[in-house]
Amino acid sequence: MDIVRFEPNESEGAGRALPVSSLPFFFDSADAKAAKQFCRKKGALLHCAGYEVDDGDLLELARAGGAIAFSFSDVLGERGFRRSILISKMRLLLSACRKRGTLFIFVTLAKDATQIRSARELAAFAAVLGANDVERKEAEKKLQTMVSK
Amino acid sequence: MKPTERFKRRYISFSLSLAGKMPAYSEAKEIIHVHFLSFFGESGISALAFKLVKYDAPSGEGILRCERSRTDEAIFCMACLSEWKGSPARLAPLSTSGTIKRL
Repeated sequence: MDIVRFEPNESEGAGRALPVSSLPFFFDSADAKAAKQFCRKKGALLHCAGYEVDDGDLLELARAGGAIAFSFSDVLGERGFRRSILISKMRLLLSACRKRGTLFIFVTLAKDATQIRSARELAAFAAVLGANDVERKEAEKKLQTMVSK
Repeated sequence: MKPTERFKRRYISFSLSLAGKMPAYSEAKEIIHVHFLSFFGESGISALAFKLVKYDAPSGEGILRCERSRTDEAIFCMACLSEWKGSPARLAPLSTSGTIKRL
């Protein structure tokens, strides 16, 4: 299961991908300040482009049954030193989520078909960020339940 | 050196495409080597036990080797390749195995 930013087409290999536009509980924010307003919404799926969310907001998000989305297309959009800083920020946010009991999911949020990645690649992405197998499976389950609502 | 002291290896089969075409062997080798080197650095490559084992230019498929505990990092690195010299490129992992024969 994956979430993308365009209308997926089965012929492009995006059969199990859902467009962001069909998910009313998905919220995009640029930074921690903007993310604050979405953390109290029940069952919110929050993508913060800066990957900086305050610990208090993570706690609120966990209480509201929400989750943080880690996007692979954000990694593809950066290069070199900036990419390494982004991965480092993602690692820090994931460890903060673990500490506060906030769930997280791994998606591509692809802008076009070329940015779509396989389940194995997303699993590797999760492992590189520091998620273990149990957390990864839990993330998949959480995404399934959020989407099926 | 005892076999137990050597690197534990994993082989990853992949398919490479550059602007929708299969690149020639020399170009594929350059793409993979430069991309892995920029991702891992010289020290990282040495710990990764990285090697391009095989590449078949007509099909665009090949095999590369890495250290067992760093398979996920190698696959993530492959997934991070999205363009090469301005053209869209894709290095997609197909399967992973402990032996070349079983790939």
